[in-house]
Amino acid sequence: MLKIARNLYEYRELVTELTRKDITVRYKQAYLGIAWAVLRPLALMLIFTLVKSFVGIESGDIPYPILTFAALMPWVFFQDATTEGIESVVKNSALVRKIYFPREIFPLTAVTTKLVEFGISAFILAALMVWYQMAPTVHILWVPLIILYTLLVSMTIALIGAAINVSYRDVGAALPIMLSLLMYASPVIYPLQLVKDKLLTQQAAGEWSDLLYTIYTLNPLAGIIDSFQNVVLRGQLPDFSSMLPGMVLTVILLPLSYRFFKSEEAYFADVI
Amino acid sequence: MPIIEVNHVSKEYRLGTLTGLKDSAKNMVRRLRGQPLIKRIPFKALDDMDFRIDKGEVVGIIGNNGAGKSTLLKLLANVTTPTNGTIAVDGKVAPLIEVGAGLIPDLTGRENIFLNATILGISRADIARKFDAIVSFSELENFIDTPIKRYSSGMKIRLAFAIATSVDAEILIIDEVLAVGDLAFQRKCFERMESLIKNSGNTVLIVSHNIRQIERMCSRVLLLDQGKVIADGLPLEVADLFYRRSNEKISADHKKTLQDKVHKYSSGEIELLAVELINKQDQITDSLASGGTLRVRVKFKVNQVLQRPEIVVGTHTTDFFYLSASSTALLEDRPDLDVGIHEVEYIVPSFPLVAGTYCVRFAIFDQHQRKVFTGETLKIFTVLPTSQEILDAPMRRLYLPTQWRLDGVPHNSPMTAPAKIVNS
Repeated sequence: MLKIARNLYEYRELVTELTRKDITVRYKQAYLGIAWAVLRPLALMLIFTLVKSFVGIESGDIPYPILTFAALMPWVFFQDATTEGIESVVKNSALVRKIYFPREIFPLTAVTTKLVEFGISAFILAALMVWYQMAPTVHILWVPLIILYTLLVSMTIALIGAAINVSYRDVGAALPIMLSLLMYASPVIYPLQLVKDKLLTQQAAGEWSDLLYTIYTLNPLAGIIDSFQNVVLRGQLPDFSSMLPGMVLTVILLPLSYRFFKSEEAYFADVI
Repeated sequence: MPIIEVNHVSKEYRLGTLTGLKDSAKNMVRRLRGQPLIKRIPFKALDDMDFRIDKGEVVGIIGNNGAGKSTLLKLLANVTTPTNGTIAVDGKVAPLIEVGAGLIPDLTGRENIFLNATILGISRADIARKFDAIVSFSELENFIDTPIKRYSSGMKIRLAFAIATSVDAEILIIDEVLAVGDLAFQRKCFERMESLIKNSGNTVLIVSHNIRQIERMCSRVLLLDQGKVIADGLPLEVADLFYRRSNEKISADHKKTLQDKVHKYSSGEIELLAVELINKQDQITDSLASGGTLRVRVKFKVNQVLQRPEIVVGTHTTDFFYLSASSTALLEDRPDLDVGIHEVEYIVPSFPLVAGTYCVRFAIFDQHQRKVFTGETLKIFTVLPTSQEILDAPMRRLYLPTQWRLDGVPHNSPMTAPAKIVNS
């Protein structure tokens, strides 16, 4: 574990440079430039808000637009980071074939690049908070930890996915479908409170209710999104009980994913 | 303690494409029916390679296309791993394998310098220090803030070369990067490479098809063929072996295509039995050295008495340009040919042509100039170069003994050195 960290520290300049490159290249010949980064969560927020006015989703005492935007921020970060992470090795095949450095640099760079876009969305969130006259509390200091956790979840999927994608491009094709399904299984359009109320309070699925809720929260994004809303909008501590199942899952899977990636790494240049 | 150890390394690749759903399904059906499965054949790019390189050695790696040179460099650069065997490299490697890997078209020259140098493992502080030198070496002062997608290909290569050669590493791996840009820049690249090699005391591995370059720069040369090291030694010796092998291959290829080009006409009065090249030891051969003796022996059978026939033997190039021909028409005492087998020899004491592939033609006319037999490309033979000669063979056709007198002092040019017969 320490060795991995030391190795990555050694290559920090490379990660920084590659990240800078990714961002520059993406928005270089675009008039709107990096503004595109925030347009997607904004557009989704508007659509969801529109849908909400027909369907009626209980958002508690927080205005729905800002609630869903706060959900979209970690979600979009996770979705983009994972997608880019999986594609990263194949996209850099010219480098993979010519020059050696630890290959996990590629997914890691792809994921960190998304942090920048996340940071820009944060300004929009801040603007929304000013608009709705919501003051941040000290709990907002939890945000970096929550985002670090999201990053690890992304890396878990990206490492194994990127390694398989080198041999079988199916992964890259299948992932967008899986992720858009996962969005509905995550509290993006609706708040986690709704699921909690249904399963834990009303016991809607009878004796299965508690188990179902645990399964639901195995999805790390359930805990992440809810906690992000908690610390930013509600001024509360993260809800650790809803984060625990996903965390356990991540702690188990991340090392496995990493080990798989490293064992495949040697063959990347041959099959890519 | 060697800086690079290659221990019995093999590298296999699978030929063919990756299996898809269709192939898997086919194999499944075959398995159910008990038929043998479709398997992809492995290809051995490197085959039990074993050598060591000491610190400070400058090693050239030569060989034909597909001999395994680039695969070897990739293994040394840790880009891929061997199927069998181990490689131990003790030091930082700077791989200049195809300069330009990792240049991003959308970024400016400046941005690319920072990115590419970081990829090659130069620290940011070092890049900042070397930045001006890189820019001035690549002669791109006016274009450094232009995206490199607007560069000409020469500009791109100059930039890539300048970045790549600013790496400080114990081991430099260079793959065919030297012949880049226009002549002036090539010259500059050479000087840069040579100073990198000579002054640093670094260990250097160079792959190139430019054997002269290798001879000049290296202290040791490895010759690869089909994944094996077939020669390892002093540059001149190994390069000489390489030339010989390439020439044999070229003439073998040539012969194959020329076999189809044999033109023959016969009236039926004579039958050609053999056309042979004879060497000094009276043995049959296929080649001679430039300036050596050409001795052609023709055997034929006469079916009908020919009175005072004219015999012509000559040579032509592979594209039927007639080089030489001699006729017995000038001989007053030429004999009649009785029925039976005859043997005629045509001897040129010094055949003055440069290295290459040539052919023999042969003709017989009767005393009234009537065609009895003519044939072209009856025998294909090779004129072998001396090791100096190959360097600029295309520049001339004739190999003539030469003497020089420089400021009154006689000199022997290498051309006049006795031609060394390098083949049987």
